[in-house]
Amino acid sequence: MRYVIIGTSAAGLAAAETIRQRDRQGGITLISDEPHLPYSRPLLTYLLGREVDAEKIFLKSHDYFDRWGFEPRLGAPVLKVKPESREVHLEGGETVLYDKLLIASGASPRLLGIPGEDLAGVYTLRNLADVENLEKGLPPGGSVAIVGAGAVGLKAAEALIRRGNRVTLLEAESRPLPHLLDQTAAGLLHQVLTSLGVESHFGVRPVGLMEKKGRLNGLLLDNDNTVTADAVIIAVGVRPRNEFLAGTGLDRPEGIPVSPFMETGHRHIFAAGDCACAPHFLTGEPAAYRIWPAAVAQGEIAGANMTGAGRRYDGILPRNSISLKGVKIIAGGLLEPDGKDGEVFNELDRSRGHYRRLVFQNGCLVGVTLAGPKAADAGIYFQIMARKVPVKDLPVDIRSAAFHPGKLWA
Amino acid sequence: MKTVIVRPERCVGCWQCRLACAVEHSRAKNLVGALFEEIKPKPRLRLYPGRLHWAFPNKCRHCDPAPCQAVCIAGAISKDPVRGTTDIDPARCINCAMCAMACPFGVLTYAATFAAPERRAVALKCDQCPDREAAGRLPACVEACKVGALTYGEVEDAQVDKGRALAQAVFASYQAAAEAVPGLPETISLWRKLT
Repeated sequence: MRYVIIGTSAAGLAAAETIRQRDRQGGITLISDEPHLPYSRPLLTYLLGREVDAEKIFLKSHDYFDRWGFEPRLGAPVLKVKPESREVHLEGGETVLYDKLLIASGASPRLLGIPGEDLAGVYTLRNLADVENLEKGLPPGGSVAIVGAGAVGLKAAEALIRRGNRVTLLEAESRPLPHLLDQTAAGLLHQVLTSLGVESHFGVRPVGLMEKKGRLNGLLLDNDNTVTADAVIIAVGVRPRNEFLAGTGLDRPEGIPVSPFMETGHRHIFAAGDCACAPHFLTGEPAAYRIWPAAVAQGEIAGANMTGAGRRYDGILPRNSISLKGVKIIAGGLLEPDGKDGEVFNELDRSRGHYRRLVFQNGCLVGVTLAGPKAADAGIYFQIMARKVPVKDLPVDIRSAAFHPGKLWA
Repeated sequence: MKTVIVRPERCVGCWQCRLACAVEHSRAKNLVGALFEEIKPKPRLRLYPGRLHWAFPNKCRHCDPAPCQAVCIAGAISKDPVRGTTDIDPARCINCAMCAMACPFGVLTYAATFAAPERRAVALKCDQCPDREAAGRLPACVEACKVGALTYGEVEDAQVDKGRALAQAVFASYQAAAEAVPGLPETISLWRKLT
């Protein structure tokens, strides 16, 4: 059996290791357009902020591919996949044949589509090469504008403050992490941003980038204000990388459609991770949430199913953890209940920085936000959510301030 | 592989295990030294006594496969193939709390430790006392537990014991007028009556 995996990040590696555990003999080829050993993309902002050393971002050791019996093709971008003849064409002329193919090609940063994005001084932050470019191009102590207050934008802001840059954060919505946090939790996050020294503007979007002598020197906003900056980082989300699938019907803008078994519409082709569009755990609708835990889970399932396991994926439970200046906020599930059976429970203790918000629908827990010291209990709430049991059947009232997990297991 | 086995029904919530755990994870490894350390060592297991009268020693179960390992974005969590433990490398941990999001038991704590570079805050949880194990001693919490709520042994053995106790209990209940609740020492049942 010839297994071929496009992508060597969370989903690709999880799949490859799962295949190897189930099939000792089959050939496993791992293709990546990046020349480096597998590394952690979420750590790039920590690398930028010099919180971790360059060698710590690599997830695997030098002998990883040999030890697992993988055949790497690093630095080899995929040009085309031909499902009829089961071929993957690589740049440089090589053709790789497959019996089972996994597409785990990930995503690439979206741009704004405004004039001036090709100027020197405009950056995105997704690949190791982007950090290398920033290291070369960032003037020490210069001012940087970050467009987008998502996870990448927020962590990049913290990293640049650590480096001694002046940071302006611009977000089109009215609060940071608008898809994950409610007004109160976002307010706590905003306080942390302000205490870091980040100047943030909400409800504004840039309409043009200004140039001076061929370099970026500022942004023009839709409220006619300008922001001067020596560099700008665009962090407004990603789009799936599936351009190389043109002609196969899988190159949809929202991602590669997959069945609950992580199969695409083509026999022998699977997809997992950021490039795939898997169903939402709670609503069942196809959801474009691109998070590391989902990529690993999908990769494991796709890998197992490539060896014929027939395992089913329950869906993505959107969730994320953001830690800024040591303040932790963990949130996930649905932000608001929909329909009349919904209920939202809030508990806020400003002096302790504690915030707990639970969203119920039809008697089940469907959303949770935790900030402060009790954020460490988040996994228990996610477990209750994943079980989809009515909260009144639990042995303890999870709304109670004295809620503790001991009673759940006793 | 041996592990710490928790019997919550025996726990009286005395916190001795927490104290022993903190001392074991201090630089000095003794109580007096630990008290004067610049970074106070933190216990890696929790109890929830108090208002609800229900003490529950909650600690890492060293799951296999471990959900925290699957979500760790820093590659800091690994399974020890020999000891069977789930370990966090403080040198790689970036304190991002992804593991707290994944752990179904809520056993993680985030605090500074002398073991991390620059004494940063990192994720802390039970490591099953590797130094003690190397020296052939019991984990600190087990050694400290006076009521048998924490024991050290094979999970399979504990399951067999528990199964046998259950079978005996069921059998006893068929006997006329079952007298005592099996498996609960007299001291504990008396204490429960008091509270």
